[in-house]
Amino acid sequence: MPGPLDGIRVADFTWVWAGPTCTMQLAHMGAEVIRMESMRRVCTLRMLPPWPGGQPGVNRSGYFNQYNQGKRSITLDISKPEGAEIAKKIVSMSDVAVENFASGVIDRLGLGYEELRRVKAELVMISMSGYGRGGPQSDYVSYGPAQVPLSGMSQLTGYAGWQPMHVGMSYGDPNAGLHAAFAVLSALFYRERTGKGQYIDMSQWESTMGVLGEGFMEYAMNGAQPQRNGNRVAHIAPHGVFRCEGEDRWISIACGTEEEWLGLCEVMGRPELAEDPRFRTLADRKANEDDLETAIEEWSLAQDSFDATRRLQEAGVAAAVPMMNRELAEDPHLNERGFFVEKEHAEVGVRKHAGIPWRMSDTPCEVWRAAPVIGQDNDYVYGELLGMPSEEIADLTGRQVFY
Amino acid sequence: MADRALEGLSVVECNRTGAAAYAGKLMADLGAEVVKIEASDGDPDRKLGPFPGRTPHPDKSGTFLYLNCNKQSVSLDITNDAGRRVLDRLLQTTDVFIHDFPPAEAESLRLEYSRLRETNAKLVATSISPFGESGPCRDWKAYDLTTLSAGGWTWLNGWPGHPEMPPLRPFGRQGAYQAGVNAALATMGALFARLRSGKGQHVEISAQECITAILEMTFAFWPYMETPTARWGQRPIHPIDFFQCKDGGWLFVLCVEEHQWQRLVELMETPEWTQWEVATNRFVRASNWDALRPFMEEWVSQWNIDDLYRAAQAKRIPFAPASTLSQLLDSEHLKARGFFVEVDYAQAGAITQPGAPYKLSATPWEIRTAAPALGQHNEGVLGQRLGLSASELAELREAGAV
Repeated sequence: MPGPLDGIRVADFTWVWAGPTCTMQLAHMGAEVIRMESMRRVCTLRMLPPWPGGQPGVNRSGYFNQYNQGKRSITLDISKPEGAEIAKKIVSMSDVAVENFASGVIDRLGLGYEELRRVKAELVMISMSGYGRGGPQSDYVSYGPAQVPLSGMSQLTGYAGWQPMHVGMSYGDPNAGLHAAFAVLSALFYRERTGKGQYIDMSQWESTMGVLGEGFMEYAMNGAQPQRNGNRVAHIAPHGVFRCEGEDRWISIACGTEEEWLGLCEVMGRPELAEDPRFRTLADRKANEDDLETAIEEWSLAQDSFDATRRLQEAGVAAAVPMMNRELAEDPHLNERGFFVEKEHAEVGVRKHAGIPWRMSDTPCEVWRAAPVIGQDNDYVYGELLGMPSEEIADLTGRQVFY
Repeated sequence: MADRALEGLSVVECNRTGAAAYAGKLMADLGAEVVKIEASDGDPDRKLGPFPGRTPHPDKSGTFLYLNCNKQSVSLDITNDAGRRVLDRLLQTTDVFIHDFPPAEAESLRLEYSRLRETNAKLVATSISPFGESGPCRDWKAYDLTTLSAGGWTWLNGWPGHPEMPPLRPFGRQGAYQAGVNAALATMGALFARLRSGKGQHVEISAQECITAILEMTFAFWPYMETPTARWGQRPIHPIDFFQCKDGGWLFVLCVEEHQWQRLVELMETPEWTQWEVATNRFVRASNWDALRPFMEEWVSQWNIDDLYRAAQAKRIPFAPASTLSQLLDSEHLKARGFFVEVDYAQAGAITQPGAPYKLSATPWEIRTAAPALGQHNEGVLGQRLGLSASELAELREAGAV
C-alpha cells in the first residue's frame, strides 16, 4: 500500500543535515524526493565518516546514508545556467522545493521562490537558512552544531558550576528538519484545499529557540537565567544518572510519585530510606537531593546497569540505561519493533540504519531503498521524467552540466 | 485576515508528558481548533512551573502557558462513564485525537483505535508513548530523562576526558518536544492521505525511536565502523569547540569546510602552528586537537566576543556565541524579524516568549488567544458545539464528570 504522500514530488536542493532531515521525512511518507547534487560541490555529509573500513568515498558515508534513505539522486551543476534551467524543469514537475543554503544563495543561483513560482504557480517552497531571510544577520553562515550555543541551549545545559556545554549532537539540524517537514505538510494540506502554494522562511536559530520555551518563560517570569544543574529538575527527585558496576556504565532513574519512590527503596533493599525524615516527601527528597543521590549511588555502584533497570521497571520505577550505539543496534525492543532498516547499498552493502519513528495503520510508511549513490537516478530523471534523448544526456554529461 | 493553513481542522488533545501538548501547539498555531481534555486536577504541566515569584498556581505554570496558547480547555473526567460518553460524542465530530497516555492506560481508558474508529471512521488517532505500542519494553515507565537515555542521547552528552561525570540531559523536555513534532508531522501525513481516501487511521509514535532517529553520525558509527559512542559525539573534524573570550563570553569556534579554516587562518594572521603538519586538514586537526587547542584558546582569549563573532562572520566563518536568554531577547536581528511575541495571560500577565518557528507567506503562524484556564471552555465546547443542554451539563457536573 502506498504511503500518505504517494504522488507528491520534491525537488531537493538540500545538503548537510538540516535540509536532508526534512526531505527524508517526506520520503518516509512516500513522496518522490529528487536530490540535486554535484561533484563540483559534494554534500558535506558525503565527505564525513563513518566509512566502512575507515575508507572515505562519496557513497560510503554512514552519516549521509542515514539521513538520505529512500531518496533519488541526480548529478546536476546548478551553478551553470544550463543546470539551473534543468533544475527549473524538475521544479515544474514537483510539488515541493526545499533548500537550506545560507540566506540569499538560492536567489543568486536564479532559483529563488519568485523564479520558481513562474514555472510552478502552486509550488510549496521552504528555505531553511541558519539565520532566516531578512534581518541584519541574515547573511551570516551557520551549521547545526553552532545552533546549540546560538539558541541559548548551551548556556542552559551542563553540570552545576561548569561552563556552558554542547548537547552532544548538532541538534539545530534535525530539529529544524522535522519542524520544516511539519510546515511543508501543513502548506501542502492548505494547497490541496485551496489550490494555493506558498513560500516558507525558516530560521534554524528560531526553530531551535522554539524548543527552549521553559527557559524563556522562567526568564520572563523571574528575570533570571536558569542555572545549569546537571540532570536535576525543579519538580522531581531523584532525577539523575548514577554510576553502575563496570567502566563508564550508568543508569538513569526518576521518581515523580510516592509509589515510584517506594519501589526504588524496595529494589535497592533499603526500605528504611522511605521512613528517613530526609526523604519522606517529594519536597524532602528535593531538599536533600545530595544525600539522596549519594544513597542511590552507593547501591548502583554494585549493580549491572541492564539488570538493575529491568528490576526497577518490574517494580514500576522509570529507569533506563543511557544507551550507546551498539546497545541500540542490538536492543531487543527496537529490533522486535522493526525499527531498523537494512537495505542493500551498492557500495556499503547491508548496514543497519535508524528507521521511521512512527507507524501508520492505513498508509504504511517505509524506506523503499537505501540512500542513493550520487547520480544513481540520472537516467530515470533525465530520460524517463524529463524525456531527454540519450544524445542530449550524453552531451550535458560531457560538458559537466550533469556532474 | 490571512488564511490559516489548518483552518477548520478540529483536534482533541489529552496531554500527560508535554509531547501531546507540543503536537497540539504546532497545529493550533497554524489555525487548527484544539480542545484540551483535562482531568479535574488539570493537565500535569499546570504543576510544572516555572511560576512567577516561584509560587505555584495552575494558571501560571510557564511550561503550560507556553504549550497551550490558541487552545480551548474542557475539564472532563474520562474515567467517569458519563464523562466518557461526552468524549465519544466529541470525537464523532473531530478530525484528530492526539494523546500520550502510556499504552496500558490507553487500553484501560478504552482509547484504542479499533474502538475509536467505530464511531468516526474519518478520525486520525495519534498516540504517543515512550517505547511504542509493541515490543518487550512497551509498558516500561518513563520520564523525559529516561526516554532520552533509552534513545541514546544522554550517553552522547557530556565532556570528553571527564568519564567521572555522568551522561547528561540537554535542557528542557527534549524527548517530549521531539515526540511532539514527529506526532504533528505524522498526523499531517495521515490528514493529507485522508483528503484522498476519506479515511482516518491510527498513527503511533515512539518517543525512544524519535531520539534514536536523530543521533547525528553516532548511531551509524557502530554498523559502519564498530566504533562506540563518544561523549560529545565523534567530532571527526576540528575546530568544533568552546573558548572563553577576554570579556568572559563563551564563543563556539567552528569550521566545517576547509575553506572556512583557510579564512580563519587569515583572520589569525597565519600563526606558525597553523602551518604544522598536524593542522593541515580538518581530520588531522581533530586527531591532534589536544595539542592544537591551547593555541586557539590563547588567540580567542585576546578578543571580546562580539568583535570576534562579527570578524569571523565577515569572512563567512560559522562561529557563534553561547547566547544567554537576555542576549537573545535583546538581539537586533531577532527584533527585526519579529521573532519574540508578547502574550497577555489572564493570570500571569504579559510575557515575551519564542514566536514563529517558520514564516508561512500565505498562512502565517500566529497567537490568537492566550492559554486557557482549566475548564474555561466547558460551556462553549460542550454546550454550543456538542449541543448539550443546561440541564445535561448540570447532570454531568452532578456526576462529577465535568
